[in-house]
Order: sequence, then C-alpha cells, then structure tokens
Amino acid sequence: MTIRLKLLLGFFTLIFVFVVVFFANQSLAQEVLTNTNYLNNSESVIRNSNILHKEMIEMQSGFRGFLLTNQEVFLEPYYEGIKSVPLILIEQKALLSSAQQKSKLDSIYILHKEWVAYSDSLITSKKDTLPEGGKRYQKLFDSKLKMEVGKKLNDKIHEMYTSFDNYEYGVRQERRFVLQKSIKSTRLISIILLLTSVLMGLVSSFYFIRIITTRISTMVNLAEHISQGSFKTLVDSKNDEFTKLLNSLNKMSETLNKNFEELKKKNKELDQFAYVVSHDLKAPLRGISNIISWLEEDHEKDITPEVNQNLILIKGRVLRLENMINGLLEYARIEKTRKGAEQVNINLLIQELKDLLVPPKTVVTIKEDLPIINAEKLHIEQVFANLISNAVKYNNADKPEIIIEYLDLGNYYQFSISDNGPGIDKLYFDKIFEIFQTLQERDAFESTGVGLAIVKKIIEDNKGSINVESMLGTGTKFAFTWPKN
Amino acid sequence: MKEILLIEDDYLDVESVKRALKKIGVKCNLSVAHNGVDGLTALTGNDKISPDLIILDINMPKMNGVEFLNIIKSYYSLKNIKTFILTTSVEEYDKLAIENLGVHGYILKPLDFKKETTDDTRKLLAELLENN
Repeated sequence: MTIRLKLLLGFFTLIFVFVVVFFANQSLAQEVLTNTNYLNNSESVIRNSNILHKEMIEMQSGFRGFLLTNQEVFLEPYYEGIKSVPLILIEQKALLSSAQQKSKLDSIYILHKEWVAYSDSLITSKKDTLPEGGKRYQKLFDSKLKMEVGKKLNDKIHEMYTSFDNYEYGVRQERRFVLQKSIKSTRLISIILLLTSVLMGLVSSFYFIRIITTRISTMVNLAEHISQGSFKTLVDSKNDEFTKLLNSLNKMSETLNKNFEELKKKNKELDQFAYVVSHDLKAPLRGISNIISWLEEDHEKDITPEVNQNLILIKGRVLRLENMINGLLEYARIEKTRKGAEQVNINLLIQELKDLLVPPKTVVTIKEDLPIINAEKLHIEQVFANLISNAVKYNNADKPEIIIEYLDLGNYYQFSISDNGPGIDKLYFDKIFEIFQTLQERDAFESTGVGLAIVKKIIEDNKGSINVESMLGTGTKFAFTWPKN
Repeated sequence: MKEILLIEDDYLDVESVKRALKKIGVKCNLSVAHNGVDGLTALTGNDKISPDLIILDINMPKMNGVEFLNIIKSYYSLKNIKTFILTTSVEEYDKLAIENLGVHGYILKPLDFKKETTDDTRKLLAELLENN
C-alpha cells in the first residue's frame, strides 16, 4: 500500500471519528435539553396546579364567608375565581402531555363546575330570599349544605389535586434522575470519544512518522554504503513511494558496481598487458645486446673508431630501452608484489634508505621521530626510495640537504621530503607524475621517468594522495598522505 | 670429449650457449636440435647420439620441453641422461623439479656466466661433465 493511500486513510478515519464525536455530542445534548425542557414544563404545571387549587380554595372561603355573614364583599374572590379558573385550566391543559393527567384535569374541571353550580344556587337563593326571611335558601341549606354536598365535591377536587400533583412530582423525580444520568453519560461519552480521537491521532501520527523515518533511514543507509564504495542492493517487500527511490538506488548501485568491476578488470588487463609486453620486449633487446657484444668479440681488431662510436651509441640506446622496459615492468608489477600489509617502522626504513642512497655530502634531517605505519613494506619503501633518490640525484646545491617530516592528520599521516635542489617549474607539476616523462634531456641525464609514476600509483592505490610544492632555485617539497588503516 | 645436445629453437640462444660454454672452458661436442621432435630424432634416429647432457629450452614449437622430458622419461635408454633447462625464471625450474621430470639443473636466460648468481650453475655444469 502506498504511503499516500495510508495517509489518506488515516485522515479519513480521523475525520470520521470527529464527525461521530460531533453527532454523538449533539444527540447527547439534545437529550439533556429535552429532559431540562420537560423539567421546566413540569415546574410550570405544578405552579399552575397550585395557583388553580388556591383559586378554588379561595372561592370556597369566599362562598362560606358570604353564607355566614351575608356580606357581599366575601364574594369578590369567588367571582374572580369563576373568571380566572377556566383560563388557568386552558393554560394548564396546554402544558400537559400525559393523557392521564389531562383526564384528571378534566375531572377536576367537571367537579369544579358542579361545585360552581351548587355554590351559585346557594348564593343566588340567599341573595333572592334575604328580604323575605329566606325560605328557599333555608331549604337549599338544609338539603345541600347540611348534607355536605359542597364539602364532598371539595374533598373530591382536593383528592384529584393530590393525585395530579403526586403524579407530576413522581414523573418529575424520574425525569430529574434521567437528566442527571444523561448529563453524567454525556460527560463520560464525550471524554471517551475525545480520548479515542486524540489517541487515534497520536497513534496514526507515530505510525506515519515511523514508516517514513525508517524508510528514509534505509535509503540513507544504502546511499551511505554506496558512497563508501560497497555497492550492495536491498530487497524491498513494501510497495510504496520509497520503493521507487530504493529501486533507483539499487539500479545506481548495480551500475556503479558493474562499472567499477569493469574498470578494475580493465586496469588489471592493462597491468597484465604492460607486463606481458615489456617482458616480451626484453628478449629481442637482449638479442641485440648479445649480437653487439659478439661483434665486438669477433671483430675486436677490425673495428674502426667510427664504427666503435656507433656501437657505443647503439649500446646506450639499448640500455635506455632496457631501463624503460624495466621501469614499465616495475610499474606494472606493483600489484603483483603485494604480499600483505605489515607494521613498518618508518624511522628504520629511512635509515636503511639513507645508508643505501644518500652520499655522505648530503645532509638528511629528520624533523620528528617518524611513526610506525601499516603498509605493504615494499611499496612504502619504493615511495621513499624514489623520492629520496630524486632529491639526491637532481640536487646541484653545494651543500645538498634533505628534510623529512611528518604530520598526524587524524586518519592519515602526511610525510614530506624537501630538498634544496634546482626546483621544478609550476608548469610541470602534473607532468612529472606521468610515466616516461623527464624534465632533463635524456642524453644529459640518464632517467627513465618511471619513478614518480610508480610513487603516485602506489600512493593512490593505497587511497592516499601526493602533491608537490616548488620554487625554481629554492627547492622542492613532495608531500604525500598515507592512511592509518 | 663430452657430448652435449642443445635443444633450442632460437638462433640467438643457441649462439649464446655455444659462446658461454666456450667462455667457461667446457670442451665438448655440441649437437643442436631446434625443437623436441628434432631432439628425439637425434637421440633415437639412425645417426643417434648418446649425449652426457641435454640442455633444453621449454618454449619451443612442435614439441615443447615439458613434453620432451615426459617422453624421454619413459625410454629406458634415455631416462638417465642428465638434463638442464634453459629458462627465464627460477620458478619455472622449481615447478618442473616438483613434477619430478628428472631435471638436474637450470641455466637462466639471458646467459651470462660472469655473474655471481650463476656460479652454482657453472659449478654444477662443470662437475657434471667431469664426473661422467
């Protein structure tokens, strides 16, 4: 699966979770709201119920007061009630949702109307019959009031109210409980959903960071290996954007490896070629040399001075060619002479070379105690021998001097060999390291021009480098590096 | 007079060996064959010779030195003849010595009997020819 797809999936999951969280919270809030509304409603119902009940009781008190005192002033709340009770009842009924409560309210209203009819008959008859001694009233008084008709109605109304209120209180209690519960669960569910989404976000972030960083570090690793010359390839089982990069890196590594191997092969072939050619060139040369000496042996007395001069010239050229072939052989044989690195004490090496190569009039100064290095002994010896013998050979100073120093450069040692010879023109700094290149006329100075080429080849084969600093008339300094490992 | 058979295809080397033997004072009858086949003919043909020493080149056309050595080793009458090889490297001699081809010594090309390094060969050659 590609990382892009994974990222998209991750984001979609997160968005989905947030949508779920939103709707869940919404519905939870809705529930809380409904319950709260219901409680508010119930509050109003009970308040109304109380008002209504109070109104009715006041009507009853007014009614009783009038009957006792005949004072019409008592009837004020009574008439007030007749007007307001139906209005409150309508309001109350609109608030109710339970059919049971509604029917209770209806019963109360019926009972109330019954009571109003009863009370009204008594009030009217009392009013009407006041002047004439109240016979009709007396009759009603005896047949209704004394028979507790009103009281019974009132009791019933009271009972209905109690039942109505009890129901309302009960339901309210229930709702309050539900409300509390829903608030609690809302809180809990919100927290859980929040934590879940945060956790999911974190997990997916870490997951993606991990995928990407591990993939990148694989690539970096591979690239590092390649840069260090180990051309390995990696097999990738994943199939994402990085696979393409990895494939490219693998391809690059393979190509580099192929080219590198080819180059190595070519170099080896070249060495082999040089070796074979120079080896085979030696035989006919030796033949020429032999024939010349036989000519000299056989015709010792017949040779004129001119012929002799020419013979000497031939011998000189043959010798030069032989030297060049030997140089080429030596150059080509560098790799063949590799036996394995060992610890080489450069102090001892320089001492030996000094005894072998440096004439007494040349002063050799060794600045520091030279280190012990890990090297192919023959190779490092060739390097120092060539550089020292050059410093001796070309030095035309009255008091020839050679200074040998070294620097510790961490992973490398840097050795330098300086002389006070004639110096080398800057123009030839590169040329002197090429094979068969010499700066002196060959007839004036017998040199094959192989020494520095061999030095450079050995140093570069050992992953070091060599450079030259020189001033005409002042001297020359060759400095080369040699890795510690 | 001692008899030496030289098997060598290169005229220059033949001449060198002749002159070198003369120079170190070996007096002998020197027969020359130019390859292994000619050498065998000289040893087994109608006008056969019985040399005290065979000096043999390794790289030759038709039959090379190694093939020649293998063949004479199988001849009862020839297997006791001393042989020297003409070679450019001591390693080649060592290789043949290990293969037990009955090689008794070597002469390094290019021939130069003046050098100290060939003193051993010179001594061996002189002894060999005198003791026979």
